Amino acid sequence: MKKTLTINLSGLVFHIDDDAYEKLYAYLTQINRHFGNDAEAKEIVEDIENRIAEIFTEKIKSGGEVINLDHVNEVIVIMGTPEAISNEEEEKQPAAGKKFYHTGGKRLYRDPEDKVLGGVCGGLGAYFSIDPVIIRIIFALIFFLGGNGSRYSKRSYGNSC
Amino acid sequence: MNIDNSKAQMRKGILEYCILLILSKKPLYASDIIGELKAAQMIVVEGTLYPLLTRLKNDGYLSYKWEESLQGPPRKYYELTPEGTTFLSELEISWSDLVEAIKQLKDKG
Repeated sequence: MKKTLTINLSGLVFHIDDDAYEKLYAYLTQINRHFGNDAEAKEIVEDIENRIAEIFTEKIKSGGEVINLDHVNEVIVIMGTPEAISNEEEEKQPAAGKKFYHTGGKRLYRDPEDKVLGGVCGGLGAYFSIDPVIIRIIFALIFFLGGNGSRYSKRSYGNSC
Repeated sequence: MNIDNSKAQMRKGILEYCILLILSKKPLYASDIIGELKAAQMIVVEGTLYPLLTRLKNDGYLSYKWEESLQGPPRKYYELTPEGTTFLSELEISWSDLVEAIKQLKDKG
């Protein structure tokens, strides 16, 4: 026995198995993430959902009342995973008028997602692709040994005079 | 250099041209276009086409009409706009230039 859910896809109602729903939901989330958030992306995702609804309708017509995991897997093969899509897509041209597109170079930021105090070490870690913990240890060492450093430099100034 | 990657790069460059070419004959909906592109081994997954159609439409080269369908939700039938026709003829010139350039390079040797 399986639990079935009811979904609305492009205005059409489908009964769908629990596991098939999870798979479809995960797929559509990936697709959404792939295309982004602007109006153009919204239209693309709508078109894709429309097409999925059409494929489901065909499936139901050819027998069966419920969308199952096989149907969803078939849809993913037809529409393509985000990876397959980006392999075939043209490189996105930066739209005219968009000021803040990323040129692909590395930029150094504080990282609010990975922070203990201000996110500085997290940002440095992400920039140099090393574990921020290592940078935190180096910072801590500099902090505690800092005093010694200045004493040495004072001494060396003294020698040079 | 990987041969599959090089082939994919070549195909990507002429996908827009192929779509406009297909639509210059008659208005079609996405799945029909996909069918022709698949037959020509230009693309494998349908998901590739939707962003291209939307971009060409937003750039003013394509327009679409909704048509009811018995097989599910209404379909968008795409066709070339006058700008699209002009754009296509420019692409055609550029394509023949490319073919000619390759021919000349081949004949040189």
